[in-house]
Amino acid sequence: MPDTTTSTASQAEPEAPAPAPVDQRRRGLPWWANPRVGLVAVVVALVAIFSGLRPSFLDVDLTLVPMQADITVFVVVGLAQLAVLSLGHMNLAVPRMAALSAFAAGFTYDKLHAPLVVGLLAALLVGTLVGALAGGIITWTGVNSFVVTLALDFGLLGLVALLYSWFTSGVAFSLHPDGMDALRSDTFNDYCAGPICGPPVPLVVPIAVVALVVVGVLFRFSRLGREILMCGSNARAALLSGIPVSRRVIQAHALSGLLCGLAGWLLAINNGAFSASVGENFLLPSFLAPVLGGTLLAGGAVSVVGTLLGAILNSVIQKGLNLLQFEVDQLQIYIGVVLLVALSLDRVRHVLADRRGVRP
Amino acid sequence: MTLPSLVETAAGPSGPRVRASLRGTEVVLAGLALAAFVVLAVTTGGNLVEPATLRAVFQFLAVPMVIGLSQMVVLAVGQMNLSVGVLTGLTAVAAAALMADRGWPAWLAVLAALVLGLVVGLANGLLVVLTRINGFIITLATMTIISGVRYGINGTGTYQGYSDGLVSLGRASVLGIPTVFLAAVVVAVLVWLFFARAVRGRQLLASGGNPLAARLSGISNDTSLVIAHALSGLLAGVAGVLVLALSGSVNASIGDDLLLPSFAAPIIGGVALAGGVVSVLGTCLAAFIVRLVDVAQAQYNINPRWVDLVVGAVVLGAVLLSQKRIGRGGT
Amino acid sequence: MRLIATDLVKVFPGVRALDGVTIDLRPGTVHALLGENGAGKSTLIKILTGVHKPDGGTLRLVPDGWQAPGDAAGGAGGRELHFGGPADAQLAGIGVVHQERNLVPAFSVAENIALQRMPRSRGLVDRAAVRRLAQGCLAELEVELDLDRPVAELSVAQMQLVEVAKALATDSRLLLLDEPTSALTSEESDHLYAVVRRLRDQGRIVVLVSHKLEEVFAVADTVTVLRDGRSVARGLALGNLTRSQVVDLMVGRAHADIELGARSVDPRATPALELEAVSTAGGHRDVSLVVRPGEILGLYGLVGAGRSELARAVLGLDTITSGRLLVGGRPVTIGSVGQALREHRIGYVTENRKEEGIFLEQTVSRNVTVTVWDRLARWGVVRDRSEDTVLARYVDRLGIRLSGPRQLAGQLSGGNQQKLSLAKWLAADCAVLIIDEPTVGIDVRTKAAFHELIAELAEGGLAILLISSDLPEVVTLADRIAVMRDHQLVGEVDNDHHYTTMSGRVIRLVHGESQESGAAEAGASETGAPETGTLETGAPRPGVPAA
Repeated sequence: MPDTTTSTASQAEPEAPAPAPVDQRRRGLPWWANPRVGLVAVVVALVAIFSGLRPSFLDVDLTLVPMQADITVFVVVGLAQLAVLSLGHMNLAVPRMAALSAFAAGFTYDKLHAPLVVGLLAALLVGTLVGALAGGIITWTGVNSFVVTLALDFGLLGLVALLYSWFTSGVAFSLHPDGMDALRSDTFNDYCAGPICGPPVPLVVPIAVVALVVVGVLFRFSRLGREILMCGSNARAALLSGIPVSRRVIQAHALSGLLCGLAGWLLAINNGAFSASVGENFLLPSFLAPVLGGTLLAGGAVSVVGTLLGAILNSVIQKGLNLLQFEVDQLQIYIGVVLLVALSLDRVRHVLADRRGVRP
Repeated sequence: MTLPSLVETAAGPSGPRVRASLRGTEVVLAGLALAAFVVLAVTTGGNLVEPATLRAVFQFLAVPMVIGLSQMVVLAVGQMNLSVGVLTGLTAVAAAALMADRGWPAWLAVLAALVLGLVVGLANGLLVVLTRINGFIITLATMTIISGVRYGINGTGTYQGYSDGLVSLGRASVLGIPTVFLAAVVVAVLVWLFFARAVRGRQLLASGGNPLAARLSGISNDTSLVIAHALSGLLAGVAGVLVLALSGSVNASIGDDLLLPSFAAPIIGGVALAGGVVSVLGTCLAAFIVRLVDVAQAQYNINPRWVDLVVGAVVLGAVLLSQKRIGRGGT
Repeated sequence: MRLIATDLVKVFPGVRALDGVTIDLRPGTVHALLGENGAGKSTLIKILTGVHKPDGGTLRLVPDGWQAPGDAAGGAGGRELHFGGPADAQLAGIGVVHQERNLVPAFSVAENIALQRMPRSRGLVDRAAVRRLAQGCLAELEVELDLDRPVAELSVAQMQLVEVAKALATDSRLLLLDEPTSALTSEESDHLYAVVRRLRDQGRIVVLVSHKLEEVFAVADTVTVLRDGRSVARGLALGNLTRSQVVDLMVGRAHADIELGARSVDPRATPALELEAVSTAGGHRDVSLVVRPGEILGLYGLVGAGRSELARAVLGLDTITSGRLLVGGRPVTIGSVGQALREHRIGYVTENRKEEGIFLEQTVSRNVTVTVWDRLARWGVVRDRSEDTVLARYVDRLGIRLSGPRQLAGQLSGGNQQKLSLAKWLAADCAVLIIDEPTVGIDVRTKAAFHELIAELAEGGLAILLISSDLPEVVTLADRIAVMRDHQLVGEVDNDHHYTTMSGRVIRLVHGESQESGAAEAGASETGAPETGTLETGAPRPGVPAA
């Protein structure tokens, strides 16, 4: 009688004491396959190169302060995409959700003379509603998320332009609420308590920090975030584990919309204008930051820290090439190539992970 | 079931009367196009049927038609191509530069534009197959790169007078029909032939319709993907040549406004986004209808932004409708 | 041609799927392949169609007219086959009609039939040739179909015929029909049987894989029965067999009776879960079931009988159209799994572990605590430590082997994954557990441990509805056995835990056989073995744990 109880290796092993918990990602893959490590190295190297070639790269007022403001926006934009990537979905309407939200903020300032915070809330509310609408359509029809959000983006593109043409004389709202200009141009360095002044950090930066922390805590610790990740990992299993999948899909898209609203508002503040062009360049950075940071397109795993690093890399490249007097077009080429390389690395990680039987 | 998308299997027939509904869509579109045309002709006091106006309508239909077909080709295998618009611009600017700066003869520059489109499309396809990443993301990246290259050729400068022969050919008419429109029709017929009759075309549709069945029948789905993307790039090159011949002056902004029409035509035309079903006639009719919306906007002096809103809403509606249809007919 | 497989062995990690299978397929016969779930049928099909490579044994192809001296029982001779993939099997003339339809929905009937060898001239499809080819194939089947109709417009039965025609288009001499009538009406089935007979009369080999005995007796000439990866009957002529004899072959005898089910259940206790004449949108009619605390109700039936679907209706994933659902004696309506879990304490361990049971890319600890995050959360925040505490409780209790709470579920063995998918319901403190095919694809030792675990849970007071197609498992564990067929309950028997008697009663219920045949005891070897057939009786069942 042949041996009919052939076991897998793990079962044949004698009972071993359970080793201490180890981070599988770090144990299973070589260090260079960890996108966060790679990103830090690349950012450091680029900063060294750029500041070597152009010492003004380290100039606080000329480079570092505006760069922080840029990063602030790109981080939030990246988080907006990350919110749905967690499900394995995409949000192609990030640009126009941001634009519509910025319109809402501008409208409350210009027509209702609302204070700064009220406009922000209006932007967040509109973004959330549009995002929830996208999520609702996706769950209701079962159509692919990128088709729905693509079509939604088309629709909103026209709508936003029309709204501006109805409610403004030109292409932007002209009235600025109190505090907007300070928020735009001031840093904490401008505010002193006696002899001690704050660091040269723009006033908008804490907003992105709050967004990072909230999204990070949400996906790391909260039931809601974890359940969204479970839906992204295996929607059927999530449904059969008692997770209300449809509701989580709508919530993730609403979160994405909310962050779009925040990003649109931030960009409008940074630009000093609430106009129809807000957000039009958001689509690529929205994918760039999370994907560079190691968030899986397939869903189920996100990296908030990676998104921050990805946004920093994006901004460093842009500012650096800008200082080296590269034209906008060349910049685009490099950014596109960076995304392609990141995607290919993502693929390499997958292959490696498959080979080693661990998650990338 | 609250989660149809999560439960349905990838393979297997979706059950609806695909062919019948497609014919239905084409008939409806044809009726719609005719009705819109008549209404527009009447309400503009016959202005629309003036030879000059009519010629303009069809001249400027050529590019949206070809660009819609370019998108349709990749939709056939269940992919998307975000780079069609900028690629059209790139091929046009590149060919203009070759003629104006390098003094290439027009025919050679046109050939170069077509080859350029084909090569970029091929690169898209290979990247999709090699990285196994959603074609949408890949073409988002290549779109960015292409748009950079497009500006890199001549900055924001404009090329004019690159080839009088080509432009006069582009603006000419044969029997009252603009040559560029004729060219677009020829392209459409060729694309139709490819999908209806060519072995390769049928294999593309089989890959899009049921990848598993295609694989078991000895069809390489990877090859299908690469061919579809390459063909899409080639058609974008054709669109670039048409722009070149029609406008007489090209700059780096060409193609930026083509992305929406490229999706609008096939989606409204009844092409399944999941792949496996194409409709050349539907795509062309839908392009015509979108063109009529443009014409109406110009005739009535409406804010051009309405066009985007209307087209966007129609596209969204078309997607939802097609999905509901499939949902109801499902097994 | 004649296809002979000798002593095929196929080993998967932890499971010996085929353990010496011999099958002799002769031209001009319809050969039925029978066996309970897990007997090795699908593995054998995959080897015959080139999907899997055998680990031992040979496949030989004997051309027509070959007559080697002394080759009566299919001895030496012919060409040995080594398939590198499905394409090689196709070249060798083996065609498959799969359960899942492999057709391109938008293509016409003709084109689907010709897809594998699209006739072409100068890169274009030769449409006339496509039609001729398709017409020829359909004519061989004596089937009339509109060649130009898209297959999406056809009925399931017509699609099936297109698939058969498709296999003919590649000159298949051997056709494998895998559960061909599972989605057909009886009229449509009859039509298909006529086609099958026609194929046989043309001198082809038809291999019919089916669960339905009536179907097998209606069309097949010979039968090979698999049990526990062995061919226990090889090419017996069906004409000499009775249904009962075939059933006995499938079930096997000589079992140690197992002592896991001796529980005392209070028959007057309020049922934990009760179905009163429940009908569903999925097609169940008047299903009534009772499961009491501390009791295991076995729900047995063939695949496709609607057992998992019934579980899903209880969980609110399918609509109950009439009848009542009672939990703890109170009538309830359940709209979602979450509601079933949180309000009624009903859990469901799915049969598709990898697809719906666990989250492969998530950590072990999240896989277990996914059902209790709402309870672990403080201000909406779940701490890893509280998760690990929950996990630790079940690691010991269920004997889950892992390297740590952050290990990914995908890295565990099948048995440990199954324990994980059970643990999340135990963590949620369920009162009723519906367990669907708990030991499919699990090796023998783990299986035995799992059975003990399920029995223990019942002794702890849990009400368990055990859905299983593994008869020894049901007889081992259940207190009562309900049998389902075509979305209806066809009977319920009290389990006396004597495998020989119970299996006979249950399988007869399943196949609609009411008479108890004692003649089967004599065994088919006396009455039935035709000249080429061999029969092994009384092979020990390695799949049944000895308690």
